[in-house]
Amino acid sequence: MLLTLQSAVEDIKESHTTEVSKIARIAAHGSLMGARGNSGVILSQIFRGFGNAVQQKSELDPAELAQAFEEAANAAYRAVIKPTEGTILSVAREAGRSAVAAAHEAGVTPADVIKAAAAGAKVAVERTPSQLKILQEAGVVDAGGYGLQIMLEGMVRSVEETGADALAPPPPRVAAQSALELPEEGWGYCTEFLIRGEALDVERLREEIAALGNSALVVGEPDLVKVHVHTDDPSRVIALASSHGRIDRLSVGDMSSQHQRIRQESSVGAQVAAGGRPPQAAAQPARANGVGLVTVVSGPGLVEIFRGLGADATVEGGQTMNPSTQDMLAAVESVPYDEVVLLPNNRNVVLAAAQVPGLSGKRVHVVPTESVPQGIAAIVAFNPERPVDQNLQEMRKAAGHVQTIEVTHAVRDSRSNGLRVKKGDVIALINDKLKHAGADYGSVVRAALDGIKAADYELVTIYRGLQATDVEAEKLSEAIRGRFPGLEVELQAGGQEHYPFILSVE
Amino acid sequence: MSRRFRVVTDSTSDVPPAWRERFGIEVVPLTVLFGNESFRDGVDLSDDEFFSRLRGASKLPTTSAPAPGDFAAVYERLSRECDGVISIHLGGNLSGTVDSARLGAQAVDGFPVHVVDSRSVTMCVGFLSRLAAESTSLEEAVQRVEERVPRLRILALLDTLRYLEMGGRVTRAQALVGTVLDVKPIMGVAEGRISALDRVRTRRKALPRLVELFHQDEPVERVAVMHAEAPEEAQQLRARLAEGLPGAVEIEMSQIGPVLATHTGPGAVGIAYIKAG
Repeated sequence: MLLTLQSAVEDIKESHTTEVSKIARIAAHGSLMGARGNSGVILSQIFRGFGNAVQQKSELDPAELAQAFEEAANAAYRAVIKPTEGTILSVAREAGRSAVAAAHEAGVTPADVIKAAAAGAKVAVERTPSQLKILQEAGVVDAGGYGLQIMLEGMVRSVEETGADALAPPPPRVAAQSALELPEEGWGYCTEFLIRGEALDVERLREEIAALGNSALVVGEPDLVKVHVHTDDPSRVIALASSHGRIDRLSVGDMSSQHQRIRQESSVGAQVAAGGRPPQAAAQPARANGVGLVTVVSGPGLVEIFRGLGADATVEGGQTMNPSTQDMLAAVESVPYDEVVLLPNNRNVVLAAAQVPGLSGKRVHVVPTESVPQGIAAIVAFNPERPVDQNLQEMRKAAGHVQTIEVTHAVRDSRSNGLRVKKGDVIALINDKLKHAGADYGSVVRAALDGIKAADYELVTIYRGLQATDVEAEKLSEAIRGRFPGLEVELQAGGQEHYPFILSVE
Repeated sequence: MSRRFRVVTDSTSDVPPAWRERFGIEVVPLTVLFGNESFRDGVDLSDDEFFSRLRGASKLPTTSAPAPGDFAAVYERLSRECDGVISIHLGGNLSGTVDSARLGAQAVDGFPVHVVDSRSVTMCVGFLSRLAAESTSLEEAVQRVEERVPRLRILALLDTLRYLEMGGRVTRAQALVGTVLDVKPIMGVAEGRISALDRVRTRRKALPRLVELFHQDEPVERVAVMHAEAPEEAQQLRARLAEGLPGAVEIEMSQIGPVLATHTGPGAVGIAYIKAG
């Protein structure tokens, strides 16, 4: 939400305009281009409603201002298919109502209207736990609604102070930098290649290569291993790898220059392609149906998997780092196809992704995948020989057939779905719903698999995240094989953050 | 036996042994090499022996086409028994077998050998061999076989692309298969071209997809279900196919021979058929 607001603020500053209708229009556009996450997208719609209400106006009186607040809330409601009370939506509505009520008072000033909106928002935020059971169980208020309250309170402070003093110093550009890992000893070279050979020892290679750099990712099979490493001395890595097998598709990128370029570009365009790599669209063979594939994903292993299955560009994005509409738009524009299928792969990204078709000159189709397994199922179902309509149908169907289990640790004590969870517990979310908690990965995952009747399925794929070790992953595979001898278990290095394991059951 | 012409094929045609005897079809073996050990396909090496060796092998076997001399020897022998030969083989885009056959034919002076590039493999070639053998003359056989070459189709689910890739027949990109995740390709062979038709993550999804692809090509005049150590799935596939087929079309069933299985890998299951003209 902060990033969304920053995007709007920067555009306004650059415009040097003082006319309210223009400022509101720029805020609407800037926030939409920078929209991240559900709350961010809704915020952009709030700005849009506000902007529509103040069209053609160079100044606002208190009644017009209040009306604009109300229209902002209405626009936000219209943008959401299933509006939920107890979220930023109801907070926006209460802010609008309070503003309109205040505007009817005699002798009211614009500052009074804004104060009333902020006060209305505050009351609404306090009410959110009573409206949403999950908030109550977790003992928190709605974050998006609270964010809107803080914004309105900021406006109050701004109008109470005078002109220029009210402007805060420009915010640091957190967004662009946090998308990249900062090695302590410098940027070095992003080195990638395949090793072809026989009986390659993946574990040993991983150890040896990890010793020569950081962010090392070494994955594969005994006959084919993919290496990705950031190193100051690519030649040593290559020499080491050549002693094990034949090197293929070598690519060495200077990350210092990459980093500078990213800093020079606007914060948003820089994140296209995970790890700061430019989209590698040109390397792909031309596709018979002329349809490109863009996907949101983070974690080097998962990025590699999506690329291997045909993704033309990937947009860095994960559980807490939602990509903006602009990031996705830039990726869509970067691929050499006029028609593009976009996979958001996270429930919180679906809404921002849904804005892309309206902004792009290309024909963009969003298959609303809500998890990594759904995204992989969808992209596997894509066939370059098939027309796009048929592909969309198959991709949606495939995404709907896969079960997602996300495994992580609880960040606080809570009660949810009748489940008592202590901070630090291993928890499993089945299709985004918290279902199981316990002391260790094996028991929690087994319970989750029992819960979805995994014996009726054929294949479990485990995507190991950064927080889990190889040994833990092997133990988990064994635990699953022991419980479900009929299931095939495949282990992949995903490299994702936040989830030590993501499991796909199909 | 006095017949005016004979039919020759190679071991990748997967002609059932019963047809060989009944129709007098000659089968020239390709070679399978495990390291330095070489085996004549189906002669020194049975299907079962092959798969048990494959499981134990540290290195994948390789295959090679018969030498022109192998063909010449067969044609030479047949030239004393009949007036001509139709020799129907594995697609020239997949193997050098048909070129060897042509060179072998040139070595036998004054004996008509009509070499046909089937542009296909397995029971598609098997069906053509039988059709040729059932013809009343060499001319009729050549005509019946050549008109069917463009209508031969194969659909196959491979358990892994590894074998086909190692054999250099197809790249991972062509097969729509990535380098990291285990994806099972559904491949097709039509008019000499190997192409990826689809990809699936689980075998259960693959069988209905094979049937669906098959239905798009109906009507058909001959059908066979082929497998490499996957008899149960082959039976299931056969049952699914039988539901939709007119009673007149029988479904042959057979195991893929060692040379072809070297490229498909174990676990492959597929349909070989001739589209109706």
